[in-house]
Amino acid sequence: MTFTSWQFAVFAALVFIAYYLPPLRRFQVQLLVVASLLFYGYGQPELLPLLALAVGGTYFFLVFALSDRRWLPVGIIFNLGLLAFFKYKFLFLDSHAPIVTGIPAIDFLLKLPLPIGISFFVFHNISLLVDLTGGKKAPPPGLADVFLYIIFFPQLVAGPITRAAMFMPQIQPKRFSDIPLVEAAKWILVGFFFKLYVANNLNEMTSYMDFPFYETLQTQDRWLLIVLYGFQIYADFFGYSAIAIGLAQLFGYRLPINFDLPYTSASFSEFWTRWHISLSNWLRTYLYIPLGGNRLGKFRTYLNLMIVMGLGGLWHGAGLSYLAWGFMHGMLLVIERPFLGVLKSVNSTGFRAVRIAVVFMCVTMLWIFFRLPNFDHALGYLAGLFTPGTNPNPPKLYRDLALLYCLPVIIQHLRAGELMERRLASWEPYFYGALGALAYLEAGPATAFIYFQF
Amino acid sequence: MKKQLASLVWLVKSGLSALLVMLACGLATARFGDGLPLPSTQTRDTTLVTFDRYVHQPVPDVILVGSSMAFRLKEEYFATPRLRNLAIAGGSPVTGLAIVASRSALPKLVLVETNVMSRAIDEALVTTYSAGSKGRSSFLRPVKTLIAAYENWLHAQPSRAQLAQAFSDLLRQPPSNFDNRVYVDRALQQMNSENPAAVSTPNVKALEKLVDVLEQRGAHVLLFEMPYSEELEGSRYATVTRKLVHGAFPDAGHWLTLDFVRDDLRWADGVHVDERSGLIVARAIDHAIAPYLAASR
Repeated sequence: MTFTSWQFAVFAALVFIAYYLPPLRRFQVQLLVVASLLFYGYGQPELLPLLALAVGGTYFFLVFALSDRRWLPVGIIFNLGLLAFFKYKFLFLDSHAPIVTGIPAIDFLLKLPLPIGISFFVFHNISLLVDLTGGKKAPPPGLADVFLYIIFFPQLVAGPITRAAMFMPQIQPKRFSDIPLVEAAKWILVGFFFKLYVANNLNEMTSYMDFPFYETLQTQDRWLLIVLYGFQIYADFFGYSAIAIGLAQLFGYRLPINFDLPYTSASFSEFWTRWHISLSNWLRTYLYIPLGGNRLGKFRTYLNLMIVMGLGGLWHGAGLSYLAWGFMHGMLLVIERPFLGVLKSVNSTGFRAVRIAVVFMCVTMLWIFFRLPNFDHALGYLAGLFTPGTNPNPPKLYRDLALLYCLPVIIQHLRAGELMERRLASWEPYFYGALGALAYLEAGPATAFIYFQF
Repeated sequence: MKKQLASLVWLVKSGLSALLVMLACGLATARFGDGLPLPSTQTRDTTLVTFDRYVHQPVPDVILVGSSMAFRLKEEYFATPRLRNLAIAGGSPVTGLAIVASRSALPKLVLVETNVMSRAIDEALVTTYSAGSKGRSSFLRPVKTLIAAYENWLHAQPSRAQLAQAFSDLLRQPPSNFDNRVYVDRALQQMNSENPAAVSTPNVKALEKLVDVLEQRGAHVLLFEMPYSEELEGSRYATVTRKLVHGAFPDAGHWLTLDFVRDDLRWADGVHVDERSGLIVARAIDHAIAPYLAASR
């Protein structure tokens, strides 16, 4: 069930109404857990036992780790094992082969598809284990609370990755009068607008980036498409995160902001404080800092950056393209690090604009590895950026239309939202209403959220 | 309480403005129609625009259905007036035929390109355009309409005379010398790797049924094959499909014989004809269907 389907609209409305009914107030947590299980099991009911195993297993290790911290690494390994098994098994076996081992139970497990959202709920599990066993000894939280933290439906399949230390204290009775209705509506409307209008329409154009279609393009259109894909992936994931944040607010929970105008970043390190912030924070807290961070000298810092970014790349998918994407981002971080001080000392708007353009182009070019997970195809596309197209009848791309589809992202990055809040506040409801209508009228053909595949 | 009331006022204002925008777009469509061809970002868009026109305009004399191979034959290439090409890029001829068969009024002649029979019928498309349906949303799409108006202003549609001149210039040029070897090799490998018999058989059966229905209702149905490049003509996919369809329609009277000089044709990727070759094939179709149209008058 995706956020943009009518089934989800009905589901969310029913859960919302039931959630605030006075007789059910005592069962709000349980209601959200059941709703989240329904949400998850709607498309893939056969994966519900896996979800239960992941959460139940994590709870089991949490209870033990709270009395003896030696159980903590066991719990982490359990979760990483789940992630590794489901995400990376297809690196070693052919998913189309009718028989893998000949043992039905094992073959059944090996043939299970990638559980949607596994990368996200496994990170939640690890956060739960680390955060709750890190401080002074406390009684274990209730099983329902743990379930809610891990499988809360707005964030279950693609985040934002919420830290347990941030979410668990929010679990308490909620009242309708406490809902920030306007704020939630704004998040949801903007989210739908970015997904339906920007991302889905741009997806129509960027489908020419697929192999072998990109070979038919003119060289300048190949460049145009990587820029469009940069806007598309942002609009898609920002849209999803915004809807998730708005939905969570309707149920009384605050999720972390996942994006902060990433394409205004003047350095690669700044980019990672603005793009998929919840993942960056997770990787920094649970991987980079435990590896030593920047406390063990220059060489070790660079190595840590490469390890974290490489693993971050692999977290997105089991493939050489994702690993290369992560390593190349790591390399960019390593290369810029010695010069950051000098770069920041130059106080010039023009220079900052140039830096923003350089970061944007590098980040955008690296998205090719996301768009084309087949490494050879990605390299072919990159090579095509620097060779003239030979097709006598290249497809026509409407650049004016592309500009209008990208415009919301550009306007947002020019900080128009702040202007609206300051000077045009009285027009705000009409503006958001028009945005909602436009999202419906100009919606591109439905496509799954890009981050669902991770 | 006061805060919640202010929130509700905000939501009402927002909802009203959304309704107003929708109403304005709905009224604009009702008043001005939706005849402006919207820009196509994908070949599928072009298909949908063509189907929209088919649903909203009078029934043409000739309808062509097929896959991406016949999709290359633009309607303006044909000298035959009132011909509509409903071939679907990435789709099946059975989808187009099912839509035609579902409508109450039929054309005189239906041409079916049968090269690709391995794709299943697109039920969603059939539902959207079948009898009783008015096609897609009747709301005006403001952004796409704006761009369509701008593009129409920028590149006005050429007149029939201008088109005829452009096509005759194109035909006077020598065939393209574009080196498509890499694409042909890739296509050949792919077309030899799969045996389409199993997936194509039910679609060929569906084709048989639909042809039968259309003929019983008085339409004349003719099948034809788009030419592949020489290397691909003998590929496993092409030969198996040809055998299946000819097995279902053994009567030569069901087949359109196209007369063109094969050496004049070129394929950008070995499968799909280029513009000049599309024009040549379209002219050959014009020539081949002329007696059928004359007989139906």
